[in-house]
Amino acid sequence: MFFIKLIFMKKILEIEKVSFCYKVKPILKDVNLSVEEGDFLGIIGPNGGGKTTLLKLIIGIYAPHTGRIRVFGKEPREVREKFGYVPQAYNIDKQFPITVLEFVLLGMLTKSHFGFFKKDQKEKAIQILEKMGLKNFVHSPFGSLSGGETQKALIARALISDPEILILDEPTANIDPESEKTIFDILTEINKTTTILMVSHDLQTIISRVKKVITVQCSVNTLLPSEVCEHFALGLYHSPIIRKKND
Amino acid sequence: MISIPIFLQFAFLAGIISSLTSGIMGSYVVIKRISSITGSISHSILAGIGLFDFLSYKYNIAWLDPMYGAVIASLLSAFLIGWVHLNYKQKEDAVIAMIWSCGMAIGIIFLAFVPHRQATCTHVLFGDLFTTNAIDIYILSALGLLILFFSIIYYRKFLIICFDEETAYLQKVYVKTFYYLLLALISLSIVLLIKIVGIILIIAMLTIPATIANFFTYRLQVMMVLSVIFCLIFNTLGIYISYLLSWPPGATIAIIITIFYIVLLPIKKLFYSYE
Repeated sequence: MFFIKLIFMKKILEIEKVSFCYKVKPILKDVNLSVEEGDFLGIIGPNGGGKTTLLKLIIGIYAPHTGRIRVFGKEPREVREKFGYVPQAYNIDKQFPITVLEFVLLGMLTKSHFGFFKKDQKEKAIQILEKMGLKNFVHSPFGSLSGGETQKALIARALISDPEILILDEPTANIDPESEKTIFDILTEINKTTTILMVSHDLQTIISRVKKVITVQCSVNTLLPSEVCEHFALGLYHSPIIRKKND
Repeated sequence: MISIPIFLQFAFLAGIISSLTSGIMGSYVVIKRISSITGSISHSILAGIGLFDFLSYKYNIAWLDPMYGAVIASLLSAFLIGWVHLNYKQKEDAVIAMIWSCGMAIGIIFLAFVPHRQATCTHVLFGDLFTTNAIDIYILSALGLLILFFSIIYYRKFLIICFDEETAYLQKVYVKTFYYLLLALISLSIVLLIKIVGIILIIAMLTIPATIANFFTYRLQVMMVLSVIFCLIFNTLGIYISYLLSWPPGATIAIIITIFYIVLLPIKKLFYSYE
């Protein structure tokens, strides 16, 4: 069975020789990466190493300066509806006048009619919120949510469009351990049907939960969780950030 | 029945029409936090008014109303600011200030060659609500309907580009197009407000009522409705008081808005108990 699965594993995301600069400063250089259906990738690397840039290149918000990115064989822009994207929570304006339900419904704006949602669409949003443990907050103001609840609402918004690839940028930054565990449990569950790419600082959890680790520090390497250098876990970022073969 | 003078009727009517648009567009200004952009666009309008007033005087073109100049100038500066925001975000602040002052400077130079510049300046800077006539009401209504139409059919799209541009992109909303459209609608509502409060006080009309409305709700559509209601109250009250006391109506409205804001401020603390 395993081999059959291996043969039929589809490459859904391919990055070939991609470079990206901010003004003259190179952020990513000669990146090669391929992601298969059902993968759970943990993306780690130092601050300013290009993790968020890599995610934004994949969803097509940025365009690579050289090289090419193919998602399901197409330009990322053309298939952007297949992504669920969870941005870093601190980028979200918590003062914005919106309820949690309305916030989640924004994740399927393409399926609305002039911005109006049908009853079954609202029910779907409420179901997802229940699944994320936010049942009591459906009609609460988005700004009243705690850090962990905000992250769950962000994930709910990304999931409502039934994405084929879920992309998360630091979903467990600055939240309590209990919420973190809930989020990872939910992600493990979702991973049965959805490919996941996740940036995180929490190396210990990443190693125990993901199938592959991507290290991003200008260049990109793909590793198995067991290969990640233990220095990295201590926060001692150094280059190269992979364990040497003869270590 | 007490008869209301016709000029006062027109003034109230203009106040009502402008409430609709300033309430709705003001809510976008507040949630998108673009009050400085709004200030910049409203002041740069003087350039268009000055130019058209000058041309109509110099070449004796009667139909060249300064209001057309105001529409063109406001749309141009909105487009310029939008373009800088979308492409050179880090320079946005300086450009906003530049358009603000440069627009006024151009207007002042053109008006220097117009003999009736005193009258034009007073009307444009401080509003001239009590000279509103039927044609003004038609123009205001047409602009108001246009703004209302777009802001209703594109409500959710404007909401998402104000809130989260990345999600807007993933939801296939044309972020740039809608940003320009939003700024254009704000510019038109600014033009609409020149008559009511004048260039200098427009920013008060487009920010304070919506901010007060935000005290009482955490839903954008409710905020818009409340903001329209507040504008209606402030405008009507302001016009009435200014008529009774012979005060300038624009300034009276602005003072009333500010007083309401200060009085209602403590309510915000009660309502947002979670903050």
